[in-house]
Amino acid sequence: MSQLGRVKQWNTFARCWHLFDAAWQNPLECSPTIEKYLKGLNKPIYHPLVDCGDHVVVINSKQIAFPGEEWRRRAYFHHTGYSGGATWTPAWELHDRDPTMIFRKAVYHHMKGNLFRRVVMERLHIFSDSNVPEEVMENITNQIPPLRSIPKTLSSYSKEEIEKYPKIIDYPEDFILSKN
Amino acid sequence: MFKIPVSGILLGASKVSTKMFVPSIGLHVSAPMKLKEIHANKVGGKLIIEGAFVPSPRKDHLIQNNNECCPLCSLGLDVKHTDVLILSQFVRSDGCMMPRRVTGLCKTQQKRMSKLVSMAHKAGLMCDLAPANSKKDPSKRKLWKKYNTYYDESTIKVYESHFKTIKDNIILDYMKSKNPEN
Ligand SMILES: [Zn+2]
Repeated sequence: MSQLGRVKQWNTFARCWHLFDAAWQNPLECSPTIEKYLKGLNKPIYHPLVDCGDHVVVINSKQIAFPGEEWRRRAYFHHTGYSGGATWTPAWELHDRDPTMIFRKAVYHHMKGNLFRRVVMERLHIFSDSNVPEEVMENITNQIPPLRSIPKTLSSYSKEEIEKYPKIIDYPEDFILSKN
Repeated sequence: MFKIPVSGILLGASKVSTKMFVPSIGLHVSAPMKLKEIHANKVGGKLIIEGAFVPSPRKDHLIQNNNECCPLCSLGLDVKHTDVLILSQFVRSDGCMMPRRVTGLCKTQQKRMSKLVSMAHKAGLMCDLAPANSKKDPSKRKLWKKYNTYYDESTIKVYESHFKTIKDNIILDYMKSKNPEN
């Protein structure tokens, strides 16, 4: 067996740990990618009854992004079981209470439902910020690339960079510039 | 009914009278085509407010537009709401969109740009360009506004008929310039 093939085999049979930065990522878009690593769908030995999935550590889950008015319009349903116990919580309100729940629900609901799903979900570790315990961080060997580029704010550019950027329009004649 | 023509005549008369004193040669004592800036200085307990002429800060990096279209149409850019370096050129220092007589864009692009600017503001990408009393940090906003949001540019409506009239006008003008006899 070649050297590369041997490493590939180690990676296949070992339980790897992957890091995923959720800042500015849509949880509904990344759940297929996360599921692929959690279940081990990318491995050649994959079978529904083979327990070959990896661990995924998701950081910055408080900074997830939704498109348009999704924060207001998206509702999460819960029923206590008693009559009149139904509640519909907007996504932003749920995110106020628990910043990891929307991401966990997105991954959980994307997976096909059977009892094995609970076992797979145990391998998903979500942290609302980048403070990850040392015993988790030391296992990580791979980082999953972000699906959506993080937008740059205007304050992240330097003043010279903004001034030297090509200008499309000029001020008209007799335009009064404000002081700041 | 009677007053309107009288005022019109008066206006015309005033125009004629001013024209008599303006020299016909293009001679100007002060530069007429310059930007103005308001300076407020305090000299010995007196506040002096004056309008001073300044050169345009964008002069060196301006893209020359030789087309008949507006600057954005002639460049053919696909502007997204994350392109803050482009969008910040169309706003004032407090973040409000400049009117069409200042930007010089066509109606379609002006509408599109103002939508994109509002998207960039809502996404918190241009928080420095805001009124002085505002909270500049987007994470300190109320309710759902404090969370990260991105937008889809395809939700901005584009009026096809307007594009069609512009296209037709350009073709017509081109035909006229080709054979000026007709
Ligand atoms: Zn145009």
